[in-house]
Amino acid sequence: MPGQQQMTEEQVQELQEKIKNMSPEELKEFQKKQCIFCHIIEGKVQSKKVYEDDKSLAILDINPANPGHVLLLPKEHYSIMPQLSEEEIAHLFMVAKTISNATLRSLGVQGTNIIVQNGVAAGQKAQHFMIHIIPRKENDGLNFELPQKEIPENQLEEIRKKLASNLGEVKEEEPKVQNIVKPKETDEPKKKESKEEKKPEKQASKKESKGKTKEQEPKQEKPKIKPDGKEEVGLDDIADLLGVK
Amino acid sequence: MADKCLICQIVEGEVPSKKIYEDDDIVAILDYNGANPGHSFVIPKQHTPILEQIPSPIIGSLFNVANKISSAIFDTLKVQGTNIFVANGIPAGQKVAHCMVNVIPRKENDGINLQWPPKQLSEEEMSTIELKIKEEIGSIGFSEAPKQKQEKPKQISEEVSGEDNYLLKQLKRIP
Repeated sequence: MPGQQQMTEEQVQELQEKIKNMSPEELKEFQKKQCIFCHIIEGKVQSKKVYEDDKSLAILDINPANPGHVLLLPKEHYSIMPQLSEEEIAHLFMVAKTISNATLRSLGVQGTNIIVQNGVAAGQKAQHFMIHIIPRKENDGLNFELPQKEIPENQLEEIRKKLASNLGEVKEEEPKVQNIVKPKETDEPKKKESKEEKKPEKQASKKESKGKTKEQEPKQEKPKIKPDGKEEVGLDDIADLLGVK
Repeated sequence: MADKCLICQIVEGEVPSKKIYEDDDIVAILDYNGANPGHSFVIPKQHTPILEQIPSPIIGSLFNVANKISSAIFDTLKVQGTNIFVANGIPAGQKVAHCMVNVIPRKENDGINLQWPPKQLSEEEMSTIELKIKEEIGSIGFSEAPKQKQEKPKQISEEVSGEDNYLLKQLKRIP
């Protein structure tokens, strides 16, 4: 495989030094050269392609969790999902849905798992962001059962506050909820300040996102994917497949 | 309705939840018994049992919200990674008949196992699967007709409410 040759320790150090001094553009170019999936996208390395458009490529995993395990890649090199634009994410997951639908219909499976791994701790192995689409059957030997942890109420509430405020506390903008939120105005000055700071941002981001969706509509990329068109016909098929024990 | 979907009840506020995000189409809540603290569910408000039934525009915003939550988790919870995870269908581990996206904060050795043993398939098997999926994607159709796109959500909602739907029945049986 290209980019996977053994290197001496000296070479590794030299390389690390080189990487440190790179501009972001150079670094991206460098990452691309090292990335096996970029080579696959460029056609330098062979793969089993199940879908391709100008932004994405879907291939069969050569070491699948189950037969039909698909890796869906953006053609652009990204390491993790937060680096992708909203348009790219929307596009990729619409393709993912279509692929999931296609595996359900064509492989006689009764379910799919969609998995994204951001970071090594999350199980990420490749340096190219990808979406795993894994066909599932009963007793297929896979187990993605998630553990259930006891999380103390105060910890949960603390996390809720942190995430909600980071996400823009959309709820507070709704008139209904504003009444409930009223007591907050009597809160300490600190909270007031942060609220005031955030409000304009929220509005701005709302406008932005509204503008974006309007812009998106006439674009070609969205209509291009039209998985739903036949889904209304195929839904029973999927349901049947999913229902068969 | 006695057997109203629990998730729909959460969406409508009939059952209390730890809401972290809400817009016209989507609600995100914290899991009370998360795989890790901060484990979130991103839920389409419309009752859709499986991923394939969710209209494409909603799919786009659903996963964009999931990504925003993933970023917020990175920003605020000092984690080393996140998983975006969907269990679609019973064999995939789906527990409730309302499709949702899991966003799971990750740290090393946190006891979560989303790994799989790699299987080896013959070249012939791989080629057969490649062909099957490729053909099926072709038949599902990628067209550039935007008009039909607008009709889709309605058609889908009609179907979703269909009580004869096999999957619905199947999922309702889950305790």
